[in-house]
Amino acid sequence: MRRPEAPSLANALFAWCVVGFILAPLAIIVPMSFSASTSFEFPPVHYWLGHYRTYFSSEGWLLPTLNSFVIGIASSVLTLLVAPPAAFAVNRREFAGRRALQVMLLTPMLVPSIIMAISYYSVFGQLGLNQTYAGIILAHGCVSIPVVLIALSASLRNLDRNLERAAAICGATSAQALRLVTLPLLRPAFILAGFFAFIHSFDEATISLFISGREVSTLPKRMFASIHLEADPVVAVVSALMIYAAILAMAIATFLRQRRPA
Amino acid sequence: MRRGVPTWLLLLPAVAYLLLVFGVPLGNTFWMSISEPTLGLQNFASILTDPLYARVYLRTVLVAATVTLLCLGLGYPLAHYMARRSGVVAALLLGACGLCFWISYLVRTYAWTVILGNRGPVTALARWLGVEPPPVLLFTTTASLIAMTHILLPYMVLTLYVVLARIDANLIRAAHGMGASHWQSFSRVVLPLSLPAVVSGCLLVFIFCVGFYVTPTLLGSPRDMMISSLIANEIETLLDFGSASALAMVLLAAVLVLLTVYDRLVGIDRILR
Repeated sequence: MRRPEAPSLANALFAWCVVGFILAPLAIIVPMSFSASTSFEFPPVHYWLGHYRTYFSSEGWLLPTLNSFVIGIASSVLTLLVAPPAAFAVNRREFAGRRALQVMLLTPMLVPSIIMAISYYSVFGQLGLNQTYAGIILAHGCVSIPVVLIALSASLRNLDRNLERAAAICGATSAQALRLVTLPLLRPAFILAGFFAFIHSFDEATISLFISGREVSTLPKRMFASIHLEADPVVAVVSALMIYAAILAMAIATFLRQRRPA
Repeated sequence: MRRGVPTWLLLLPAVAYLLLVFGVPLGNTFWMSISEPTLGLQNFASILTDPLYARVYLRTVLVAATVTLLCLGLGYPLAHYMARRSGVVAALLLGACGLCFWISYLVRTYAWTVILGNRGPVTALARWLGVEPPPVLLFTTTASLIAMTHILLPYMVLTLYVVLARIDANLIRAAHGMGASHWQSFSRVVLPLSLPAVVSGCLLVFIFCVGFYVTPTLLGSPRDMMISSLIANEIETLLDFGSASALAMVLLAAVLVLLTVYDRLVGIDRILR
């Protein structure tokens, strides 16, 4: 007999259809990237690796890819320098206006990026920061602050404070306790936070569209232009590479979680 | 307990960074909305009186509401199913939703240009079924609705799943024990308990959707602009910074109102938990 709380067959069917809707668009990208056609035709008539060769030999694609990596790494390092002390403060200290401050630190994630895009465009225009690495890194660093805050908060709250108390009892100064106990315990959280910040910057398109020019064009900006103007099938290759990377990242994450029981 | 660094010093870097790189640009946009080309409220006055702007606002709200309802209608049954299944199936489905967070929305937007394009599978299917001429889907509001629903659906599903999975199965068993039908145990027990998540998921999707720029620009109809495209258009083609800034401020005000509602009902700081 079916357990009373088990889902009905109709529910199951509908749920699997929705999952199909979520996954199908991703599934068509991989065959698209091997298409021999020069347009967005699906299903492709012939398959070859030509678009991969175009991607890996075209400066018009490799330079934006490199730019996105440089900007992603730099902005996540910047955010990791600025945000963790604040994450410590809002999670471990009581002070007046703590809640208001938490909300304030989260807003960059919630304000529509088009508003930030035109704001940066006009301010950076006056400061000469448009179409520079510095401008995009600063802008992405800002939007990454909430990302790092969220990624660090859970670990900070779950950290067993008795370990720090034990360090203090054993005679450690608070700086020593931080360096030898707290930070090593938080290292996975820091790595995760930096990774999230990197992904956030790597995927960000709207702000980059406005403030990055030809020289420092990011990968999403290049993809936007290809989809918008030309119907360049190399977009399929870039998209497929991103999907491979996402699956790999998820596999690594699952593997690490299983190896280190929480 | 002994304190090391004072709290204000811990907060200083992040707060200073946000003030300079977030507050100053936003403040400048606000200033431009009331000072470009001349000091005054004429930009806001023209937003209020010009029917073009009113149409764009109305359309944006309608599109966002439609996407929100679609996400809820598709996401709730999926989340409900995931929460009632255990082990491998739930993990697999969660993984499918989680994978989407790792994949850029630009990639997913691109996928929809292929699917809905005039050489894509939907058109081919329509031809095969004898629909001639096949429906034009790309560069219509329908296309951007579908793609935005697809992109925002995982947010809805995960928000709902977290709450639905926490509902004690004994409550449902108890309802059945007292003679409730499947529908009754759902509508009287599960649904009321999950309402906070429904509100939170809907507000989140609506807020993201109202400000969406990339997907409607690439897939939508250029005539049926949403507010973000209009803002971009005022700057890129008309170089009208005053008008664009005023539109951005109206959008910002709307989002802040929604965020206040969200904060009252759910609590923004709950995101950190």
